[in-house]
Amino acid sequence: MSRTETTQGLTISAPISSDRWLTGVTMGFLLAVLIFFMLYPVYDICKLSFFRGEKLTLENYISYFTNPRMFRSLTNSLIVSGATTVITTILAFFFAYGLTRTTIPGKGIFYTISTLPLIAPSIIQGLALILLFGKNGLFTRYLLHTDWNIYGATGIIVAECLYCFPNALFILYTTLSAVDTRLDEAAQSLGASALKTFYKVTLPSAKYGIASAAALVFNLTITDFGVPVVIGGNYNVLATEIYQQVIGMQRFNLGATISVILLIPSVAAFLLNYYLTKKSYALISGQARPFLQPSRPFKKWAFTIYCWIPCTFILIVFATVFLGSFVKVWPYDFSLTLKHYNFPSLGGVAPLWTKFWASFLKGEWQAIIAYKYAPIWNSLWISIFVAVGGACLTLLAGYIVEKKKPKGEQVLYTLSVLPAAIPGIVMGLGYILAFNKPYFFIYGTFWIVIINIIICNFTLGVLSSIANLKQIDKSIEEAAVSLGANPITTFARVVFPLTKTAFFSNMTFFFMRAMTTISAVIFLVSAKVKLAAIEIVFLDIDGRTASANAMCTIIILIVVGMLVAMRLITGRTALKGMSATT
Amino acid sequence: MGRNLRLENLTKKFGTLTAVDHVDLEIEEGEFICFLGPSGCGKTTVLRMITGFETVTEGKVIFDGRVINNLIPQKREFGIVFQSYALFPNMTVEENIAFGLKVRKMPKKEVAERVDQMLDLIGLRDWRKLYPAQLSGGQQQRVALVRALAPNPQVLLLDEPLSALDAKIRVRLRAEVKRLQQELKKTMIYVTHDQEEALSIADRVVVMEAGQFRQVGKPIEIYQCPNSSFVADFVGTSNFFKGSRYEDRVKTGKREFKISQSGPPTEGEVFLAIRPEKIEVFKEGTLPSALEPSNVISGKIDVVTFLGAAVRLTINIDGEELISDIIEKEFAQRQLKQGEKVLLYFPPEAFIVYPMTQREGIS
Repeated sequence: MSRTETTQGLTISAPISSDRWLTGVTMGFLLAVLIFFMLYPVYDICKLSFFRGEKLTLENYISYFTNPRMFRSLTNSLIVSGATTVITTILAFFFAYGLTRTTIPGKGIFYTISTLPLIAPSIIQGLALILLFGKNGLFTRYLLHTDWNIYGATGIIVAECLYCFPNALFILYTTLSAVDTRLDEAAQSLGASALKTFYKVTLPSAKYGIASAAALVFNLTITDFGVPVVIGGNYNVLATEIYQQVIGMQRFNLGATISVILLIPSVAAFLLNYYLTKKSYALISGQARPFLQPSRPFKKWAFTIYCWIPCTFILIVFATVFLGSFVKVWPYDFSLTLKHYNFPSLGGVAPLWTKFWASFLKGEWQAIIAYKYAPIWNSLWISIFVAVGGACLTLLAGYIVEKKKPKGEQVLYTLSVLPAAIPGIVMGLGYILAFNKPYFFIYGTFWIVIINIIICNFTLGVLSSIANLKQIDKSIEEAAVSLGANPITTFARVVFPLTKTAFFSNMTFFFMRAMTTISAVIFLVSAKVKLAAIEIVFLDIDGRTASANAMCTIIILIVVGMLVAMRLITGRTALKGMSATT
Repeated sequence: MGRNLRLENLTKKFGTLTAVDHVDLEIEEGEFICFLGPSGCGKTTVLRMITGFETVTEGKVIFDGRVINNLIPQKREFGIVFQSYALFPNMTVEENIAFGLKVRKMPKKEVAERVDQMLDLIGLRDWRKLYPAQLSGGQQQRVALVRALAPNPQVLLLDEPLSALDAKIRVRLRAEVKRLQQELKKTMIYVTHDQEEALSIADRVVVMEAGQFRQVGKPIEIYQCPNSSFVADFVGTSNFFKGSRYEDRVKTGKREFKISQSGPPTEGEVFLAIRPEKIEVFKEGTLPSALEPSNVISGKIDVVTFLGAAVRLTINIDGEELISDIIEKEFAQRQLKQGEKVLLYFPPEAFIVYPMTQREGIS
């Protein structure tokens, strides 16, 4: 004990405690990271869109709006996103209704199947639809012998519906399971018919949830790149148009201009979703009661059949791609082969991996394992870094925002939730513009990819950390402090153990995103840095569809492996309650 | 001189709201102090300024002669017991108790000894390997109590520690806290809104209202000589009459009471307060003769409420309600019943007189 001789009234001054100092430094670090790796690239894009050469001008925007082919990408995007939004929200609403408000059997299976699209790159939907309904599709060519194919708007809409389904479902499921079912019972006891109860009570009480799900689907669709790039054909949307302008024609300023145009609807949809989610949660009563009256047989059968429809589609997608990677020539020769897993030479090496295998493998095997599989190894490595780094950073950010609440905490919060508003493809382009400079040494390395993926997915990580930290009583931390624990001990021994579950599920989320993301990193890969998910796009563009399926299958298997491992470690299903918002 | 804790002109403002308004208090080492007041009166804020979790707007917190306003909480060596127990759910009972010792880098053997000692204090030795979720609320709070005591804090602060428990356990734990305090001779500061708890447990009670200390004193002083109508009303139950005083008489409505109060003579508009148990109740026709006649009033018993050892009578006097407590035995002897006409006697010395303040709403 450090008690010195003191005189009456001597003040012990500790104007800045170690706690505040640590909080300040951590917050400063997080702010710097977010400003430098998120705001700065977006700023660069906005700036470039107003420049041609050295001249400040609106010419880029004029070119965009006066060129009918380019301008069509905007209307196309809006049409596709609008249609997907309406269809997915309706489909997911009744699916969620079946899972929460009826007593159909097999709810667990339905729920699990409906989350499957999250474990694969969005491109899988496109690949499967092409195998089934493309120019050489199983149905179109082989069974129906028709010239019709799914490329274009139809293909994009169907694929996006499947891709967005679980995301919309999560929101609607939460909304419908939270709204008090006693309201429905009260209405019926007052003599309202089932249909009337649905229109007058159920639907209005879920309205914010429905609108928020719709806004999310719109945002996901309009920003997606993977689906339209494989199945869009000549139907250009904003995301593919950006890629075209930049990679195809090296017109960076037009790419930047289209990015700004894409930012507007995507930010608007994000803000709407964010605002509505808040409203929706305000409606949730703590009184919500999970007990359900047994549904009548007709209702039960109708909903069981209904729920099988999207589930069947999802299963067909996965089965098709899986099968498509093993058959010789789809759809003509269905004999099995592993040859598509011997990827065409992709080039590129992976640190450690290539050296390790090349040191003792020879010939064909050396080529396959050491070199051709290098992108997979890279993806795995990067995903592990993203998982650990992303989970740590978002936990810290959540901790500071929710528990420490220093001055300027609002700024940190805003910057933390903003990444979800920025389309991946825009962020990717922003990274080229901002960081492709000789003095910026991490450009062109794995590190820039890791940082990019963490930043792009920061929002969900932070929001789920905050939600989890909210459940820890403030006095638990105060108890630790009053017992003499310093801030680091308090965090390590008390706060962290209590947020472990959220931490691991954040790790899983970041890992999945890193394995499956396409849009942002497609601008960041190079001859040196290759990624598995991006190779799917390139293989498909090269016409090697079967190998694209094989690569997709490998990614899915890795993600499933990770989910199983996490389940074994934490004893929980990591997918539960995970979505692009929450 | 022990290690006293002194609050000097202590003030806390949240924006324009003054939560604690220039209060002074000296707490001696080994004393058991209770802050008592309605919710929102600022008592918890005072406690949190002492712990260091709340900053001080104005004034000083002085411990052992040093101003500790800016000392961070973990350096104050004050133990805290929270209303929500705040046990670490990820640690067992013994790990919880050992936490404060381990962060002080106490040798392992000493930690084990101290934990044993603490478990013995509350008789929970067999529970050491259990997690908080496996304990009842009362057991959890006992663990929280010794967890706070384990590092041998200079002062123990308890923030409504028993409010979350049910009535029976609350009374039992209250006694246990008192016993621990007397055994360990530890300075304890206890915050509660339960006046019975405060009166039964504390050496001194601080009655707070609107951020200010209304009265500081021993429990019996607070109860018998409340210094304001607020204290008289908040601590225990009182019947109030509004009236005007001249010399030893107070005129209230068409009645006139004789009073015999020492203390400052208050002239003019006053409040008269009288505790329910001071009022004597007689059946009509059984009134002893030597009583001051102006202090006898007739009424009718409206409601009879059994409180166990005592009986509470709600008596109607000319449309006004009045409360009188008599012991059960007397109630039976005098054969009082609901609906019966009775005579009430107000002993002149039982009245407490307050000047009319801004608080006129008391009925």
